[in-house]
Amino acid sequence: MLTFFLKRLLGLLPTLAIVAVLVFLFVHMLPGDPARLAAGQDADQQTVELVRAELGLDRSLPEQFGRYFLNMARGDVGVSIRTRRPVATEIGERFMPTLLLTLTSMAWAVAFGLVIGIVSAVYRNEWPDRLGMTLAVSGISFPAFALGMLLMQIFSVGLGWLPTVGAGSWKHYILPSLTLGAAVAAVMARFTRASFVEVLGEDFVRTARAKGLKERVVIAKHCLRNALIPVVTMMGLQFGFLLGGSIVVEAVFNWPGVGRLLVDSVNQRDYPVIQALVLMFSLEFILINLVVDLLYGLINPTIRYK
Amino acid sequence: MSETALTATAAVASVPSGVRTPWSEFWRKFRRQHVAVLALAFVVVLVALAILAPWIAPYDAENFFDYDRINEGPSFAHWLGVDPLGRDILSRILLGGRISLATGFLSVAIGGLVGTVLGLLAGYYEGWWDRIVMRLSDVLFAFPGILLALGVVAILGSSLVNVVVAVSVFSVPAFARLVRGNTLVLKRATYVEAARSIGASDRTILLRHILPGTVSSIVVYFTMRLGTSIITAASLSFLGMGAQPPTPEWGAMLNDARADMVSSPHVAIFPSLAIFLTVLAFNLLGDGLRDALDPKLDRA
Amino acid sequence: MILRSLLATGLFCGLIAPALAAGDPILVLGNQPETLDPYNTNTTLTTAVTKSFYEGLFEFDKDLKVQNVLAESYEVSTDGLTYTFKLREGVKFHDGTPFDGNAVKANLERVLNPENRLARYNQFNRIRTIEVVSPVSVRITLKEPFGPFINSLAHASAAMISPAALQKWGKDIAFHPVGTGPFTFVEWKQTDSVKGAKFAGYWQAGLPKVDSITWKPVPENGTRAAMLQTGEADFAFPLPYEQAKALGENKKLKVIAQDSIIGRYLSMNMLQKPFDDPRVRQAINYAINKEALAKVAFSGYATPAKGIVPAGVLYAHPMNAWPYDPAKARQLLKEAGYANGFETTLWSAYTTSTAQKAIQFVQQQLAQVGIKVQTQALEPGQRVEWVQTAPDPKTARVRLYYAGWSSSTGEADWALRPLLSTEAWPPKLNNTAYYSNPEVDALIAKALVTTSDAEKADLYAKAQEQIMKDAPWAPLVVEQNLYATSSRLSGVVVMPDGNIDSRQVAVAP
Repeated sequence: MLTFFLKRLLGLLPTLAIVAVLVFLFVHMLPGDPARLAAGQDADQQTVELVRAELGLDRSLPEQFGRYFLNMARGDVGVSIRTRRPVATEIGERFMPTLLLTLTSMAWAVAFGLVIGIVSAVYRNEWPDRLGMTLAVSGISFPAFALGMLLMQIFSVGLGWLPTVGAGSWKHYILPSLTLGAAVAAVMARFTRASFVEVLGEDFVRTARAKGLKERVVIAKHCLRNALIPVVTMMGLQFGFLLGGSIVVEAVFNWPGVGRLLVDSVNQRDYPVIQALVLMFSLEFILINLVVDLLYGLINPTIRYK
Repeated sequence: MSETALTATAAVASVPSGVRTPWSEFWRKFRRQHVAVLALAFVVVLVALAILAPWIAPYDAENFFDYDRINEGPSFAHWLGVDPLGRDILSRILLGGRISLATGFLSVAIGGLVGTVLGLLAGYYEGWWDRIVMRLSDVLFAFPGILLALGVVAILGSSLVNVVVAVSVFSVPAFARLVRGNTLVLKRATYVEAARSIGASDRTILLRHILPGTVSSIVVYFTMRLGTSIITAASLSFLGMGAQPPTPEWGAMLNDARADMVSSPHVAIFPSLAIFLTVLAFNLLGDGLRDALDPKLDRA
Repeated sequence: MILRSLLATGLFCGLIAPALAAGDPILVLGNQPETLDPYNTNTTLTTAVTKSFYEGLFEFDKDLKVQNVLAESYEVSTDGLTYTFKLREGVKFHDGTPFDGNAVKANLERVLNPENRLARYNQFNRIRTIEVVSPVSVRITLKEPFGPFINSLAHASAAMISPAALQKWGKDIAFHPVGTGPFTFVEWKQTDSVKGAKFAGYWQAGLPKVDSITWKPVPENGTRAAMLQTGEADFAFPLPYEQAKALGENKKLKVIAQDSIIGRYLSMNMLQKPFDDPRVRQAINYAINKEALAKVAFSGYATPAKGIVPAGVLYAHPMNAWPYDPAKARQLLKEAGYANGFETTLWSAYTTSTAQKAIQFVQQQLAQVGIKVQTQALEPGQRVEWVQTAPDPKTARVRLYYAGWSSSTGEADWALRPLLSTEAWPPKLNNTAYYSNPEVDALIAKALVTTSDAEKADLYAKAQEQIMKDAPWAPLVVEQNLYATSSRLSGVVVMPDGNIDSRQVAVAP
């Protein structure tokens, strides 16, 4: 297991290098001149050229590429075109708020999703199942923007219980994490239900029941473990998606996270920030999926990694 | 409570009469699930409405407008009200169903197909093939959606087909990882080992023994993904891809309603409702299909 | 409807406002300042923030009239080349150093040095020399006469930065503003807010009236509106037009709408068929109902454009708007050989929901006269690539283009030259109609070097009349600035150019 883990960590580097090359080529291919965007609408050609030189964008593409890689090897991911601040600072400031929001959203969404999913599976095709399904489907078909606005109108504007924007206290987390977690909870509930339904029909469950075990014990001890593989997979994916920062939720609640940074940097073609963000996202996904793979082994000991 | 508790005895009781082809068997089981049949009927009606929309819509969905009734709520003249540009919401939902259903369904179907194949192979063979597929999917996951969409517009240009391409690409890695996870477990199941010991080919094992075991995850993700992709398609039309205004499309209608939904909620509620009902129907249908396909759940 | 009744209950509860410390107003803006160096931004709202820390020699008042600030008076030589300024005495920077002629020289020479690569370089590049005559007197010599010179010094970007601080911080002055303004810089949390504290040594007695000022960028329209209602913001600009009415019914808020100098127009690429035919351009002007546009896209917070330059701009020449007459439009199209209409594209320079409504509205209107339009709201990168940096005018892809402009100098020159002179064809500036009329070019050029007001007014009037006749644009509407303050706040005004005057900000206890 440990060697597997170390091998996978080592395998990170080539993947990240590929991502770095891809994203570099990709952003430079997008339409839009960062120098002109940074200079603004009032700027004439001469000013734009000044800004271009300032940003180092007047160099040839191979030269920019070389500098980007050399600097990255030294751990320097550059300076933001838009704010002229170090990219590491820009991302550093926003990483924690996004991480915390992701954790709170995941926590309630997974708990809620598992409960609804299990209840739905046990009371299959009966009213708790139908109710759970309806809730789940509304969780994904109501767009986050509308949900966020609705919650804000009710709890902040209407009732005055919760603040609208910011990330200062625990109260600030409630509405954004509800909005962000809704879709996750929906997907988790559906997945848990599906894999429980699958497992509930298996032979070993019947055996357990035949042995006269209590239904609760059957579900907790025998089903949960076996139903978890797809659930854990989905959980990992959702976790990764949320860590990328939600563009919509962060906009509605003015959340100081990486989603807004991504939008701003894409809009302004802030190459260094986009590149660093995408690298960070891939690192996150690789690590999460590594953990998920390790969890597979824990859940089902027959899965072993070499 | 759980009907599964009865399976052991029930299975014995169901002695069929006549020839049982897989199809008739499937239909027999499917028909018994009234909710799923209802959902199927709803989907059929939906598709029919979408196809017939230009003839049954009460107004011209694109060119009719009434600037004196902007954002007006439901009335006899306009059953679902009027949108911020003075257009009839009902007509736009009817016509919008065409593009939303087609792009939503197609893109998830393509993404699901490719993802499933990749995931099956990765989970079954593991080793370097698994590593390549999974690292590729990691890379795809990491690419933010708006960046990918901008790139697709830049390379391929904007058209409805490209929306389907873009949304399919989004869907591939998730399906791949999901199916791979299931496959990793299933290939170690006793019945698969048994099949292998009697000399079944990889192909047979994958298609007959492992794939059926992943169907339930696939169906669930497929039906959930449908809603997401309808909404995603809207953010693409915002970047100049896909359906362009004034062509109606559910996701785009929601997007257009953003500014007005606080003061006139109905402009957002009705398109949301259309998406909700559609996704709900597909989910119910998916559950029904899954049950009908499951040999373990055979009870009278 | 549900939401509205919820709003109403909110009013009854009336216990929302998380108690804000008295005298610490929070002002919410639609976008984030990208820098706090006024010389390095082209964003109006950014300078609204820097104005808390900085002042210039002059400023615009709420009617865009030039007022003296750090300059007490000035004289111009008859040839319009030499300006002599008398500076205010006894003014101190936040760091305690005195404001004097050397500070003026240091600041202007900084922006004029191309090495510093500042975004406002072109606003000052007509300056030849800056001489310090005495600590309270400065003489500036221009390379050529430049009518709007005082206006360009009144622009918020022409701020006086402490030379000592410039020395100390260098480029990082953008993060450590030190000026003569009413507030001293406290902190800039990039993700949250910019904060300033009362400057005890401010030269205007009795100001500022509050202990601190906090600028908070909140990009989402609806969220700004919500923050006003919960009392988390004392001021918000801009506001979504769609919610103005509901907000106006809230007794704790004052909603204010005022005419701006932000004009919205549709430019037509005159190098391309069919827009090379004046009859087609006229037809498009006739086909669009501007009254209805103002109502649909702007919820009534806009007025149909009267002429080329919005009325609040100096030397604007109001003319009758093109009447709405679809029959005439069809007639003109027929005469031009497009009896069955034609197909074309309409791009918008913005992706805001107002812009999306506006282009869809124009699309509906043009469809009525047989012109089939494909719309696309351009994302900033696309806009820059496809419109602003199109290398060859002949192959530029822009056709119909929905855009807007606000003259940053408050003067007709910057409302005409960058948009309609031949030298302003992309990629140089923003003449997206590729309009070129030597007569208009000559009028604009001549007005620029004329110092007599009456003569300038006459030249600009002629230019605007000619442009109206040539119809490179369909002028659409002039926007209103819509903002709101809590009832306890006073002294904050949004100016016609979209900038904000917050020097007098006060909070009732």
